[in-house]
Order: sequence, then C-alpha cells, then structure tokens
Amino acid sequence: MRQSGLSVAIYALTTLLGAAAFLYPFWLPAAAQAAGSGMAHAADAPLMVSLLAGLCFAVLLLEVQGQGMSAKVVALLGILVAMNAVLRFIESAVPGPGGFSPIFLLIVLGGYVYGARFGFLLGALTIFVSSILTGGMGPWLPYQMFTAGWTGMAAPLCRPLVRALRAEGKTGEAVVLAVYGGLWGFLFGAVMNIWFWPFVSGPAGQYWEPGVTFVEGLRRYAVFYVVTSLAWDAMRMAGNVVFILVVGVPALRILRRFRDRFTFEYAADRTGVNAPLVTGGGR
Amino acid sequence: MNPATQPAVRGDASIHAGAWAMWLAAVVAALAVSRNPIYLALILAWLAATWIAAKYVAGALDAERAVPLSPLHFGLFVVSVSALFNGLMVHVGDAVLVRLPDALPLIGGPVTLEALLYGALNGLALTGLYAAFILVNQALPVREMVRLAPRAYYSIAVVVSIAAAFVPTTLRQYRQIREAQAVRGRRVQGLRSWLPLLLPLLTGGLERALQLAEAMTARGFAGASTPTHDVWTQVSLIAGIALAAAGLLLRLVWGAGALGLATALIGAALVAGAVWAAGRRHPQTVYRPAPWRMREWAVAGGALLTAAFFVLPLPGLDRSSLFFYPYPSLTPPGFSLWIGMSTWGLLPPALAMVGPALR
Repeated sequence: MRQSGLSVAIYALTTLLGAAAFLYPFWLPAAAQAAGSGMAHAADAPLMVSLLAGLCFAVLLLEVQGQGMSAKVVALLGILVAMNAVLRFIESAVPGPGGFSPIFLLIVLGGYVYGARFGFLLGALTIFVSSILTGGMGPWLPYQMFTAGWTGMAAPLCRPLVRALRAEGKTGEAVVLAVYGGLWGFLFGAVMNIWFWPFVSGPAGQYWEPGVTFVEGLRRYAVFYVVTSLAWDAMRMAGNVVFILVVGVPALRILRRFRDRFTFEYAADRTGVNAPLVTGGGR
Repeated sequence: MNPATQPAVRGDASIHAGAWAMWLAAVVAALAVSRNPIYLALILAWLAATWIAAKYVAGALDAERAVPLSPLHFGLFVVSVSALFNGLMVHVGDAVLVRLPDALPLIGGPVTLEALLYGALNGLALTGLYAAFILVNQALPVREMVRLAPRAYYSIAVVVSIAAAFVPTTLRQYRQIREAQAVRGRRVQGLRSWLPLLLPLLTGGLERALQLAEAMTARGFAGASTPTHDVWTQVSLIAGIALAAAGLLLRLVWGAGALGLATALIGAALVAGAVWAAGRRHPQTVYRPAPWRMREWAVAGGALLTAAFFVLPLPGLDRSSLFFYPYPSLTPPGFSLWIGMSTWGLLPPALAMVGPALR
C-alpha cells in the first residue's frame, strides 16, 4: 500500500516536472524577472531544463517497469511496439491526411484496455523503436517519448466516462476514445513545436527584452503555431478521430479477448492436487 | 530493414557505443551553451568532417536507416525559417532594414539585421544538433544502442530487442494480408481500407505474442510478474528529481549559481544511485564484449575536454565569449583561443575512421 502510494507520487511528480520543463520558455523568463535575478545564468537554461526532462523520463520509466514485467507482458509489449513501428513505416502506403499517423490508435486503445503502465510503455517505446529503426533519433526524442507515453498513460481516464455513459462495447466507447485521441493528436503537435521553440525565438530574444511576460510569450507561440502547424495538426486530429471511430470497436473487441488470455497466472501447487487456474490477475 | 542481424563490427572503423554517446553529449552541450558564430562555425566544420569521414572514407553509415531529410537540406530550411521568424517577431536592434506598418498584429514594426542574424544563428545550432544525432544513428547498429541501456532497464531493453527483431516479420505479415485483400478485389483507398488490413494484423500479432511468451517462459524468463524494486529506491527517485528541480529553480530563477548547481547535481546523483542499485538485481553477462581501445579513449577524452571548456566554470578561463548577444547593435563576437581549441576534442571520431583507410 505504501509502495503504491509512492508510485502515484512518482507518476505525479514526473508528470508535473516534465510539463513544467516542456513549458519553460513561457514561464522561466517571467519568473526570473520577477525574482530580480535577471539573466545571470540564462544561457544554461536549455541544457539544464532538457537534462531535468530526461531525468524525469528515466525515473518514470524505471518506476513503470520496476513493478515487474512478466514474460507475457514483455512479449505483448514487444509485438505491439513492432506493429506500431511498422504502421509508422507504411503510413505512406495507405493515403491519410497531413500529420495523421496510425500509431495513436494502438497507443490509446492499448492504454485504455491494458492500463496506464502498459499504455505509457507502449507509447514511449513505439517512438523509441521506430526512431532507431528509421534513424529519426534526435534531441526531440525525450519530448516525443514523453508525450506519446502520456497519451497511453492517461487513456484509462476515459474509463469512468465510458462507464457513466454505459457505453462499454458500443459505439459510444469508440466516440469517447476518438475524442480523446483527437485531443492528443493536437497536443502532440503543440508539444513537438515547443521543443524547438527556444531555438526559433532564441533565449536572448526573450531575455533581453524587458517586459516579456508569460502572456506575451504565449501570444508569440500562438502566432508561430497557427502559421506553421495548425493545419498539419488539425489533419492529424481529424485523422485520429476518424481512424478510431472506424477501427475502434472491432479492435477493442480483439484486445479484450486477448487480455483474458494474457492475464491468467498459474498459482503454485502447494496441495499436491492439480494447480488451480487463476484468471484476471497480474494486470 | 533487418537491423537486428547487422554485424556489430564493420571493418576497422567501428567505435564503441559508449564513446559515441559521450561525443554526442559533448556536441549537444557545446551547441546548447553557445551562440557565438565563431564557435558555431568551428563545431559545424568538425561535424561536417566527421560526416565525410564516416560516409565517404570509412563507409560506416547504414544507408538503410538514412533519413529522408539530409542535414544539409534540413539546415537550409531551418536557418531560413528561423531567421525570417525571428526577424518578423523580435523588433529590437539598431540596423533597421524595413519597417512594416504597425497596424499588422505582432509582426508590425521594424525588421532589424540583428534579429535576422540571431535567428539564423539559432537555426545553425539546431542544424548541428540534427546532424550529430543523425550521424550517430546511422553509424551505430541497433543492438549496440540497446546495449547502452543501464542494467536497471533490463526488461525494457528486452522489449526493444523483441520489437526490433519482429519488425521484419510484422512487415512481411502486413504484405501478405495486403496481397490477400488485393486478390479478393479490395482496393486500398482512404481510412476505411485500414479495417481489413489492421484487424488481421492485430489478431496475428497478438497470437504471435502469446507463442513468444510461452517460448520465453519455457526458456526460463520470468513467467510471473515480480516487483523488482523496493521502497528505498522509490524514495531516492522522488528525492532525486525534487532536488534536481529545486537546484534548477535556484540557479535560473533566484540566481544562486553555485548552490543551485550543487543541489541539482546531488539530485541527479541520487537518481543515478537508485538506478545503479536497481540494476544490481539483474546480473548480466555479455557474449561478445565490444572492445574499448585507444580510439575509444581518444574519443571519450576529447568529448570530455570540449564539454568541460564549454560548460564548467574553469578557473582562469574567460567564458564571456560564449555568450553572444547581437542586441541592441551588432558587435564582433569575442573569441577565446582555449575554447576554440577545445572544439578539436570533437575530431577523434573522424580521425579514428580515416586512420584505417589510410593504412
């Protein structure tokens, strides 16, 4: 019990600090000005913040895998990650709009059905594996992995809503998940832009000008975002929504059927009788 | 398409993954810290030299993992975009080129040479980061990269290895399904055509995962989930990131430089210690260890040298030339011979790859 409380604390703290690190170009200059310290160590900001984000990611990853992964979970994750990496390859083979990528389907549905830890690992490792296979690894990788991981990790939050709507196994469930997937399609694009935003707007540009406030920083970013990425991300959002609507219900059925086959565990045979079969444990 | 079966050692030009990682970290640190155009030019020149040595002399780059966008094209695009954007958004500087009407929201105002130039410098730094990562990506086989993971991340490294090994199988299965659907007269168009492709792929993949899990259990891989770390690991992880964040705030917001750095380092050390302690539960043996030779010492030493000169406040070193601000009016950038020479620390990989070819 104590341990699961600590786990929740780690999830919360890493998520909070990770989000703060993502958004640093907006709040840090204003905070430094308010504290009156000016630009004493401003040049260290990008490096230190990136290191903090990386540290948070390492901690979260250790916590997520640290509760023990059975052979079944390892195999299931490995195969689903491979499938997602393939989907990322072949997205050009099947026509889809703009920034649309089919990888979000399995991340959202996998997290929703198999739980937050599984969803986080599926999202983060999908990005990692497909980027080492295609050579797309870069300083943006922790940001991408964090965001895709969050997408899967937060997916179980849809469960209460689905339960409240009494939509389990029906189209309503796919609608809820489609809206969720669309939302993250947008967030993914916005976060990926924030990664190189400090490079575009430049630390000096932000620090030198007096009176650059949080709101002003956000306004500039909004302009940049609308001009460069809104259309692209909107297509990703629409693609996610339609894709989950179309494939969602049958894919959920398949994932649920296999969940029952994946989560049984053999209990130790202490009585000398045949080992009883325990189902539904070890999720 | 089958990175898992690539040979680990290619000719004589291979460099240990750990040494590559240190080199990459040094490039990232140097590019993140400085916007001085002279240092940027030096670093970019050494990156280009390493690229040429790896691609044309040693032939060490894996063409199958080449990215669609070469660093040169990426650079042209990013430098022009960030110069333009910075020029239009930052209306500071004395050398006014054009004055846009103030009625335009945000972009209205003077467009200055300083802002354009600073945007271009940011783009150059970004290009350098991109090139360094792409280079290491293509020079290192997937297996070597997975081996870099600390032992504590053993399960995740297994997942990554499985995924990398199963990508070709999954791709083959995808092609078979597609052919089968084509024979039945289905045409691939639009989002709807994903349905008959994806569902068989998903079912087949999950079946394969079950078989794989049984095979792994039969070979002694943990069949049931067992918790691997204890309360103390978790406590030190929490304390570690909290301290790191506090140190960052101290240094960047309240200007307490040394205290902040020390706090952040203690936090990072706590996390590293917890990771190390967790890794001790997974003893590991290596069948064919990658050698650590003279060239690895040279690469690692050079990387440490460069990173130290760019990041650490070394006594007697004038670091003011690292911080280059073009505003309010353009001044020639400062130059420290020591820092300039320390960028030579990025050259050993290029030399190590050219060396065997000359022999």
